[in-house]
Amino acid sequence: MTGPVIPIASESSGSDFTSDFIHPPHYLPPLSPIAVNNPVRVVNRLTMSLSAASSTLLRTCARQQLPTARAAVTSCQQTRGVADAKASFESPFATANERGSTLKIPNFSKYQSSKSPRSNQVFSYFMAGTMGLATAVGAKATVQDFLVNMSASADVLAQAKVEITLGAIPEGKNVIIKWRGKPVFIRHRTQDEINEARETKWESLRDPQSDDERVQKPEWLVMLGVCTHLGCVPIGEAGDYGGWFCPCHGSHYDISGRIRRGPAPLNLEVPAYQFPEEDTLVIG
Amino acid sequence: MAGISNVIYQHVSPALATTLFRRNAVYLTAIFAGAFAFELSFDTGSNKIWDSWNAGRQWKDIKPRYLVAAEEEDDD
Amino acid sequence: MLARSLLRGPNRAIARQSLGKSTRASSTAAGAEFASSPFYLTLTASLATAAAAGSAAWYYHLYGQEAFAMTPAEEGLHPTQYPWVHERFNKTFDHAALRRGFQVYREVCASCHSLTRVPWRSFVGVMHTVDEMKAMAEENEYDTEPNDQGEIEKRPGKLSDYIPAPYKNDEAARAANGGALPPDLSLIIKGRHGGCNYVFNLLTGYPDEPPAGASVAEGMNFNPYFPGTGIAMGRVLFDGVVEYEDGTPATTSQMAKDVVEFLNWSAEPEMDDRKKMGVKSIALLTGLFAISVWVKRYKWAPIKSRKVVYSPPIGPRR
Repeated sequence: MTGPVIPIASESSGSDFTSDFIHPPHYLPPLSPIAVNNPVRVVNRLTMSLSAASSTLLRTCARQQLPTARAAVTSCQQTRGVADAKASFESPFATANERGSTLKIPNFSKYQSSKSPRSNQVFSYFMAGTMGLATAVGAKATVQDFLVNMSASADVLAQAKVEITLGAIPEGKNVIIKWRGKPVFIRHRTQDEINEARETKWESLRDPQSDDERVQKPEWLVMLGVCTHLGCVPIGEAGDYGGWFCPCHGSHYDISGRIRRGPAPLNLEVPAYQFPEEDTLVIG
Repeated sequence: MAGISNVIYQHVSPALATTLFRRNAVYLTAIFAGAFAFELSFDTGSNKIWDSWNAGRQWKDIKPRYLVAAEEEDDD
Repeated sequence: MLARSLLRGPNRAIARQSLGKSTRASSTAAGAEFASSPFYLTLTASLATAAAAGSAAWYYHLYGQEAFAMTPAEEGLHPTQYPWVHERFNKTFDHAALRRGFQVYREVCASCHSLTRVPWRSFVGVMHTVDEMKAMAEENEYDTEPNDQGEIEKRPGKLSDYIPAPYKNDEAARAANGGALPPDLSLIIKGRHGGCNYVFNLLTGYPDEPPAGASVAEGMNFNPYFPGTGIAMGRVLFDGVVEYEDGTPATTSQMAKDVVEFLNWSAEPEMDDRKKMGVKSIALLTGLFAISVWVKRYKWAPIKSRKVVYSPPIGPRR
């Protein structure tokens, strides 16, 4: 903290304001090198008085510093009474008394706020906080709009779901539809097939999954028609297990779409789907 | 007005100074909480104004007619 | 150059006498009396100004003017300006009018004009319910993707499909319309000078018979608002040509107004949201600007009113 060596003229005396309040940065102007080497006093319009205790503390801190700085403090202490007495300042040099001299320091006291320093500071904090608040809202809206812009467009979303009427699929038949460019198998299973799928000892399979995990309604088996080995499309109602058979490398899937024999590592994938109505299936 | 400003100077300002602005963390938290609340209220308020400017013009204003009509068709 | 060598000629002897001087210095010295007379100075300046202004005017005459292929009469009448409510900064489309305008498009315009950039789904929540649009889309047939045998079949339309065009391609459209291509209407309001006013005037501006002296080609119709005045499209909107479901009297101007507003929606479907967002952001940014002006003054006030006072040291304190 370089603040202490800058003496602050107390033009308004008798303020109850104490320095433990957080100051906005400009209330303690940064110490420039010039101010250290030359005893230059900076007088602010928005002055505030330090309490006697705290200013003594600051002065003792300053004494620990450079001798030049100490000299500056000393000189300021000694001229302080003068500054307190007169709001305006006249240079002791003779040239200041000439007409049009630039050395005459005008009196800024009429610009001084008549309110208490605390209410001024509360107002300043309130305004700065309000600006931060509005900026945060605007920034959030801007960022959000850009991020939303990156999400899927309406035409993509419109094609991301496929609706199928199930009434047209008879029991024991397969239907293949295209969904997001991939084939989807829909099998209307018979009761025998459901029983077979449920009674299989699934715990010992390569990718152990029970039939209940793979279907929402037992009579409707819905899964992606992409072999989990290398991506061929398996043939329906074929293979050694009454399910699907991949002609590329000979993977056999059962009537629940689980891998039973062949190179494929996983069961056929089940997409997200739902039955919004009794007779309707929506995939996606 | 003078009474209100007096109340602000004598009671609200010191209260704010000692509670909200004293610690920077509290101050920042208040700003962001305020931003959240302000966004909600600003959106609600501006939507209300917009809807009052465009009363009877938007889809939500004419939608009930056609929804009722569709349900009646279903009943038939 | 010519003038300078002429001036220089008689003075060459003088120039040779003094070796140190350049020929140029001697020539100006000799012509100084001639050039420095006020009359000649004024004359030279006037001539130079006249030459500069003349050449600029000549250049503008040659290249500066805009070239018009058509006379103002052929350009078409300027459309009348109408106070469209939906063009105000704080007004949305009148969605009941959009619904009527879409009915006019379906029943009148769609027999020749396509609307290929508008999908069925975009009407949902704007002027129709989901069920209405699903039913409307299913009335149309679309090609499927190739099946197992590689053949393309037909399927009923879905919400994600786009409105089908009345003709298979531009050539078929031209063949059916005497060589004129009915333009796609998706962006017609943005794509025509005059926008809503032009289309409204075009639709309602057909006179009962062409004015005396106007030449109308075979198979063409006269419309003063169409550039060139000869338009292949005939008048299509007559009182009562559609029957509005909400009971609005279907006059020619009512239908034209509704279909123009609908076509403006198809060109700018985002307009409602855009205007709302604009109003909101202007409101917020105005407040932010006001506060930032205050903050600027707050930050600069102590800097501008700072006094720097020199007080000499009174002596070391040792």
